[in-house]
Amino acid sequence: MKEVIAQIKDLSKSFPTGEGEFWALKSISLEFNRGEFSGFVGPSGSGKTTLLNILGSLDTPTKGEVEVLGNKIHQLNQSDAAQLRSKHIGFIFQTYNLLPVYNVYENVEFPLLLIKMDAAKRKKMVKDAIAWVGLTDKIKSRPNQLSGGQCQRVAIARAMVKKPELVLADEPTANLDTENSFNILDTMLKLNKELNTTFIFSTHDPKVIEYLKRIIRLIDGEVASDDLASGS
Amino acid sequence: MILRLAVKNILHNGWRSLINIVVVSIVLIVMVWTQAMYYSWIRLAEIQQTDWEYGKGLLRVKTYDPYDPLTFDESYAPIPQELQNAIDQEEIAPILMAPATIYPQGRMLSAVIKGIPQQQSVLVFPSGKLSAQQKDIVPVLIGKAMAKSSRLSQGDIFTIRVRDINGAYNAIDAIVEEVLPIPAPTADIGTIWVNLDLLQEIREAPNTASYFVLGSSKYQNFESSDFRFIDKDEYFADLYQMLENERFQQVLMYALLVFLAMIAIFDTQALAVFKRRKEIGTLAALGFTKAKIVLLFTLEGTIYTVCAILATPILGFPLFYYFATSGFPILEGYDEFGLPGFTEPIKFLYPIDEILMVFFVILIFTVFVSWLPTRKIAKMNPVDALRGKVN
Repeated sequence: MKEVIAQIKDLSKSFPTGEGEFWALKSISLEFNRGEFSGFVGPSGSGKTTLLNILGSLDTPTKGEVEVLGNKIHQLNQSDAAQLRSKHIGFIFQTYNLLPVYNVYENVEFPLLLIKMDAAKRKKMVKDAIAWVGLTDKIKSRPNQLSGGQCQRVAIARAMVKKPELVLADEPTANLDTENSFNILDTMLKLNKELNTTFIFSTHDPKVIEYLKRIIRLIDGEVASDDLASGS
Repeated sequence: MILRLAVKNILHNGWRSLINIVVVSIVLIVMVWTQAMYYSWIRLAEIQQTDWEYGKGLLRVKTYDPYDPLTFDESYAPIPQELQNAIDQEEIAPILMAPATIYPQGRMLSAVIKGIPQQQSVLVFPSGKLSAQQKDIVPVLIGKAMAKSSRLSQGDIFTIRVRDINGAYNAIDAIVEEVLPIPAPTADIGTIWVNLDLLQEIREAPNTASYFVLGSSKYQNFESSDFRFIDKDEYFADLYQMLENERFQQVLMYALLVFLAMIAIFDTQALAVFKRRKEIGTLAALGFTKAKIVLLFTLEGTIYTVCAILATPILGFPLFYYFATSGFPILEGYDEFGLPGFTEPIKFLYPIDEILMVFFVILIFTVFVSWLPTRKIAKMNPVDALRGKVN
């Protein structure tokens, strides 16, 4: 039986501009089930990242409702939103956003420190997560000693280490070459299958689109299409 | 976790962190040095005045007003019978004073002549050198400042004119027995020391005194119609007042130094908030609340000062050690200014409680100054921060 973990109802989002308001998202309604490997696809400015940010409780809707893992995003205060992110949501960014002062181990460990996991369990989970992404030999390297692909794999390990129910990936392959992009996508797909983690992407990279099992096309802040990929 | 991240960020900042720590540390060194100088000066002055003039307290004749020279002539009273035994036991030293005019090499100078018993052990004053036997030429002791201002030196003979209590003037010849390095200005400047018995005789006021220097605190509560006890606060009132006046300049200097140090920290913090917007967004995405991010940045600023406090004894050691052992040199002529404690190099003592208070105050300032630029974080939208946008 399918379990809905995120629900968007009639969501609109506007931003103030010099001339009034810009509506980045217009009356969007969507549902996401546990274990989905889906993505928002569309050109720049179509509202993909805005939608991802709202799902990740980093932003709030102007109109409509968004419910993620039973939490109504528009009703969450700062602290509850932070707690939702720290416990249940993993983020993967286009520019990796690793903490430059931490090495691979410490970057991956960070989300577990936030949820105050005990040291022994933490150590095992961090090592497992680093092993998933194949960076065990780079455990003590700092981000500036890693390639872009390796950095993004660290970011994936950081997002996955706490085994979140939802991972939001914003253009995760935009700064990677083809080989690295496929490596990353294979890793994420493997984790999606093994851990039944829901992945939602924001992308316009054909390589990513090739991997998605559900493709939601956004144009000018509206859902133009919502299709299951062939073979899904 | 926040502390570890803060420490790592500071280490990552490298030389910029080092400069901040050194700047704050230099400020702290100057503050500790200044604090120690004032403290040591006052302590030295207290010790010197106590050894040479105050003892364990003064019982002073009520008619005496140190700020009114016209009262000097009347500043004497009979020695109370109850104190005689203590005087004989050398637990109390009676001092008689009188206004006088001296004529060194024909010049005329005003002075105060003080009589001290030849046998006394209350003060470190070498009164044993003041004989009462030589009445033709009376031996006197003077301090270096008095010698300099009157141009008298050891062996010089000069005339002293003193009025007795009946109003008649007596002229006596005196010889400078010795010029003493008296560190207490009030026992030196304008003062000539003679044997008490002789002065009583000259003044025709036998068995009288102007004040008693107590060698034991048990006489502090002595009741008398002629004498009253002068406590430490009253005796050192001028010194403490001088310190208070200096305190204003000290606070002004501290404020300036702290301001400079705080500017360095504020600047670093403001720059960090600007440069690390993306990191702020990332931390928010990972589940840091804004309060935690503010705490992280504030902690980083505060750690600079904590490191500076730890570095201060190390960086300042050569300076602190030099002044503790060699002392603060007294400039030529300072000993004539009448400033107590300025007659010999001031060897620094470091008042731990006062220094800790300085550190604590600086720490509080740092927390505030480190926090100020982070207010921007509270207003920052995490999405804008992730994009590196400035609000």
